[in-house]
Amino acid sequence: MATLGRILIVEDDPNDVELTLTALSEYNLANEVVIARDGQQALDYLYCRGEFADRPDENPAVMLLDLKLPKVDGLEVLQKVKSDEQLKMIPVVVLTSSHEEKDMMRSYRLGVNAYVVKPVDFHEFVNAVRELGAFWAVVNVPPPGSVKKAP
Amino acid sequence: MTYSAKLSTRAGARHILGRWQAQQPWVRALLRYGLAVAGVALALGVALGLQSLNFREVAVPVLTIAVALITWYLGTGPSVVAVLLATSLFDYFFVAPLYTLAVSAEDLPYFFIFVLWALIVASFSAVRRRVEENLIQARDHLEVEVQQRAQRETEIESLNRELAKRAGELETANRELESFAYSVSHDLRAPLRHMVGFSELLQSQAAASFDDKSRRYIRTILDSAKRMGDLIDDLLAFSRIGRAETRKAAVNLEELARDVIAEVGPAAKDRNIVWKIDPLPVCFGDRSMLRIALVNLVSNAVKFTRMRKQAEIEIGCVKADGAEAELFVKDNGAGFDMRYVDKLFGVFQRLHLREEFEGTGIGLATVQRIVSRHGGKVRAEGVVDQGATFYFSLPTIGKAAERSA
Repeated sequence: MATLGRILIVEDDPNDVELTLTALSEYNLANEVVIARDGQQALDYLYCRGEFADRPDENPAVMLLDLKLPKVDGLEVLQKVKSDEQLKMIPVVVLTSSHEEKDMMRSYRLGVNAYVVKPVDFHEFVNAVRELGAFWAVVNVPPPGSVKKAP
Repeated sequence: MTYSAKLSTRAGARHILGRWQAQQPWVRALLRYGLAVAGVALALGVALGLQSLNFREVAVPVLTIAVALITWYLGTGPSVVAVLLATSLFDYFFVAPLYTLAVSAEDLPYFFIFVLWALIVASFSAVRRRVEENLIQARDHLEVEVQQRAQRETEIESLNRELAKRAGELETANRELESFAYSVSHDLRAPLRHMVGFSELLQSQAAASFDDKSRRYIRTILDSAKRMGDLIDDLLAFSRIGRAETRKAAVNLEELARDVIAEVGPAAKDRNIVWKIDPLPVCFGDRSMLRIALVNLVSNAVKFTRMRKQAEIEIGCVKADGAEAELFVKDNGAGFDMRYVDKLFGVFQRLHLREEFEGTGIGLATVQRIVSRHGGKVRAEGVVDQGATFYFSLPTIGKAAERSA
């Protein structure tokens, strides 16, 4: 089996975290998954600060980013990541409840790699997360700097 | 005489005139005629005085000046009196034979020249006086008009201020509505997703130990949650149509109708539907919005003809005069009772049971909102169990050209 990239999930809602993890595990995606519960924690992780000061310093293969987050919201995280030379290559997928065109436009302007609206229907949600995980963490060749985990 | 002194005498004269005008009319007349007589007498005195000082030929100028002043300040009646009186006195005191009212033949021209002179001066004065009166009247009129205009301007200003305030309030309300819709979209959907997600997980994990009743319960939970999701989505779409800007251009409705049928048709591929698209005009509107409206109408037609062995759905055009076209979507389905036609286009209004025909009751409200945002109207005709026809009017491309011209 090929080496698998690390998935960074930025999501404040524990139910959504559990459903996302369930969806990922249902298809046996053996990727390492890191959870950040708000925008600040996500940035700490990306910049190896605070509780993530001694994490391995390769970038995640993909970041699944919710927009509505406590402290630092998703669009701010996106803006920071996409304007940082070291981080801008990380593929960012916005995974949100928001259907609003405004959010979508702003995300794309900031350089998001994909924008996915969380479906209400569980099967659709599972499918969406599985496909996202499979595509970005397995199929997609990640940019240099995001060293893959040993199998 | 300095300017201010002139002003004060004028003000004094006006003050006196004002006091006169306050008096009874007959007192006023008496005063005017009395002043005329006194004026002529004064002039005569001055003329006689000057003559006694050996000044020659002073009677004509002094008396005519008196006549002119009397005409100027006292009006036509006193002027006539002054002319007559001055003439007689002139004749009596200055025209030979002296101290009679007779006029000698050789002084006749002299006398007539005086009379003529007095009349000319009097008439000039009268004309000037009339002109001045007209001018004063015009000025007063103008003043009133200026006042009225100023008043109107203040009114307009206050209305404008009110309008600006209202616009501000409306903008705030709109912003609040937008953030409300945003919250609904974001926060209401999350718990719903969790309900559905965990119910599904429960179903898949514990299905074996469930009896029929429990399975039905969990099915109902899932159906209801899904229905609520649909309601929220439709309501949000409806509110977005109210808020979104329309991007209008020429839209070929016939092409759009074919697109819509191609989109809606496959969902009913196991049914026998006869589609009929009449020639349709090119309209002026927002393509994506008109598409939503047509999708709603066509999927309604498909839904409500479900019980027909052969469904017939027609998209046509009633009339297309220069400015507006009225189009329709007609089916041979369940129809409706015309008594409830007013409820048809309301939000969450349904005329059928949910067991018969699924739906959120927002589709036709959305259609109406889209059509009215294009300046058009919707109406419907139906007969129970025989079918329904939904009409909607749209501006044609001709009207758009007319408007931009």
